[in-house]
Amino acid sequence: MLANNVVVIARREYLSRVKTKGFWIGTVLLPVLMLSMTILPQLLIARSKSTLRLAIVDQTGKVAAPLQGKLALQSPAGKDGDPSPDETAKIESRGRRSTPLSTFVVELVEPKPDADAQRAELNRRVMAKEVDAWVWIGADALTSNRIEYHGESVSNFVTQGRLQDIVTDVVRDVRLKEAGYDADLVSRLTHGVKIETVRITKEGNKAETGIAGFFFAYAMFFMQYMLLMLYGQQVMSGVLEEKTSRIVEVIVSTVKPSDMMLGKLLGICGVGLSQVLIWLLTAAFLTAPTAMIIGATLPAGIPTVSLSLVAHFAGFFILGFFVYASFYAALGAAFNDLREAQQAASSAAFFLVVPVFLMFVIINDPDSPIAVASSLFPPFTPLLMLLRIAVKTPPAWQIALGYVLTAAFVVMMTWMCGKIYRVGILMYGKKPTFKELARWIKYA
Amino acid sequence: MSHTLELRDVRKSYGDFQAVKGVSLQVEPGTVFGLLGPNGAGKTSTIRMIMDITAPDSGEILTFGRPRQPKDLHRIGYLPEERGLYRKMTVSDQLIFLGELHGLKRAETLPRIRTWLERLELSQWSKKKIEELSKGMQQKIQLVGTLLHEPEIVILDEPFSGLDPINQGLFKDAFADLKKQGKTLLFSTHVMEQAEKLCDHLCLISHGRVVLDGNLREIKRAWGGNAYTVRVDGDPQALAGLDGVDSMTADADTGRAKLLLAKDTDGAEVLRQAITRARILEFRSEEPDLETIFIKAVNDAGE
Repeated sequence: MLANNVVVIARREYLSRVKTKGFWIGTVLLPVLMLSMTILPQLLIARSKSTLRLAIVDQTGKVAAPLQGKLALQSPAGKDGDPSPDETAKIESRGRRSTPLSTFVVELVEPKPDADAQRAELNRRVMAKEVDAWVWIGADALTSNRIEYHGESVSNFVTQGRLQDIVTDVVRDVRLKEAGYDADLVSRLTHGVKIETVRITKEGNKAETGIAGFFFAYAMFFMQYMLLMLYGQQVMSGVLEEKTSRIVEVIVSTVKPSDMMLGKLLGICGVGLSQVLIWLLTAAFLTAPTAMIIGATLPAGIPTVSLSLVAHFAGFFILGFFVYASFYAALGAAFNDLREAQQAASSAAFFLVVPVFLMFVIINDPDSPIAVASSLFPPFTPLLMLLRIAVKTPPAWQIALGYVLTAAFVVMMTWMCGKIYRVGILMYGKKPTFKELARWIKYA
Repeated sequence: MSHTLELRDVRKSYGDFQAVKGVSLQVEPGTVFGLLGPNGAGKTSTIRMIMDITAPDSGEILTFGRPRQPKDLHRIGYLPEERGLYRKMTVSDQLIFLGELHGLKRAETLPRIRTWLERLELSQWSKKKIEELSKGMQQKIQLVGTLLHEPEIVILDEPFSGLDPINQGLFKDAFADLKKQGKTLLFSTHVMEQAEKLCDHLCLISHGRVVLDGNLREIKRAWGGNAYTVRVDGDPQALAGLDGVDSMTADADTGRAKLLLAKDTDGAEVLRQAITRARILEFRSEEPDLETIFIKAVNDAGE
């Protein structure tokens, strides 16, 4: 049973924050920010369909015609046509694209005897915007493995990459034919194998691409990271406001400082959980249209948010929040202004940033010794154990141990930070040294 | 008779600095008790211990005739020296919150808030955020917060500092009403005229010690008859160091000096000495003002 005063303080913290515009702006902006960081760049590249007008000069006389045919398959008109399996595999292995990026309009130009004059003429046409670029297939292209691409812009690397893939195919086919092989047969015999990833979970197997799994784990991780950072800072500035405006004098005369801190943490933790809840409900509501957008860029299945994962997210948020927020509360109480406190807060940020560095290691191999060890180190557990669960469910005992260790750590942190808070909140004047803080813990 | 509030040999140190060096005082029910002293004397430290904001190193604090219990603090109202309000909260939300801290339900607080805001001419501000209010208005809101739960003891730390004369008047009226209702008031100030006008009982502390404690009339009677005002032709400093004079405050502009004589000294004797020092234009016996008494008391304590 919580003391009445803890409830009063928690309610004030909760309502005064949820009522602000800032809360709602943050609630809307954070997912937007995350989406734009993870998915938007790809989406933009994938969606930017343009028409590339190419003039092709083929001195070999063998490449241009099949090349034109294959490039035409890439255009919307030729979309229904079946690109060679080899080509599809190659494109998919290179990225997350299944739709054509841009349309090629190909113009075959007869090679003229005066190559230099022809090059100059093609340049003029590019400058005059008659074509976007010209491709020069030299007489030795089949042996030198080189063709030239000339354009005003050469930074459209995605399109160039595809052009290169296609030219490579064509040139190889030509060579095979010249060497007396059946190109189609060779193509079938050397066809690459595509890995279809299926994630095994307790809820049943589900096709999921590696890349989707990666982004999903990445999103979960950063959501938690941002929440812990954001709400920790909020606790710190809240405590500082109370201290500098001396509200604390009025409150402490009727409320124990420990109750005051507890109420504050509970209230702000509630704000964070509400925000998560709003996101999850919105996500559930919007899943269908979202899937359509992402499905366009992510060919295979999209990971679904399982209930157990949501519970772990919330559980680790609460534990992580109490670890970091109690630390931030102690800092807010110990120092006299935001600048001083933020300097010291960078030490808390350290514990939040290290997991970011470990993230890729863990996503790649969630069961490696370093992944297991770091995810069981209590300050990292809320972020890293969650990440491991999102990537591949770790053994139950490890999850349980993570919870237990972190919970114990929370008890220790709140006890220590509560002491600093109690002394600091009523102590004005000079900035305390770490030695003094240690003394507060000892004697308070 | 049981005291509403009593301190017994209360001490408090901050590190090596002894802020309060054994303060004892008794506050009788229904009185206006002035806790006086220069800046840094230990007034705020003492009040913070009464309010259980900090704990004394030693000594006892009794409220309502028994050792103070946590719930007693709900029968006390406290106006801190440095006002504390949440800047982003509206006036009414803020006051409801302060009421809740004392266990008041929203429904019972609201009519009280309305009455108080009307009385202090702040009704139209109730939905405004604290940060939109002037300093003076914020102080009035803080006072409302202090009195919302209708405390029996009201403790006010420098309540008039920074208030304009009109608001000072409003505060004084409010205090007079509280006294009429039989509440006990304790307030700290370093402005002696305020104390003289408002208080029944005075306690002067200096350097963490009580140097004078008593009923206002008794103090004046005890020190009365021994104070003289002298006006001289020239600089009254000429009278410095007369035998039998405990303290002197001189004002060179008016040529006046206030003399406080030692207990058994005869005024005529002092006058006889003074004549030899300067041309005396006026020599008058008078009731000493508090300031003079306190300067002497502080000096005596320092010796």
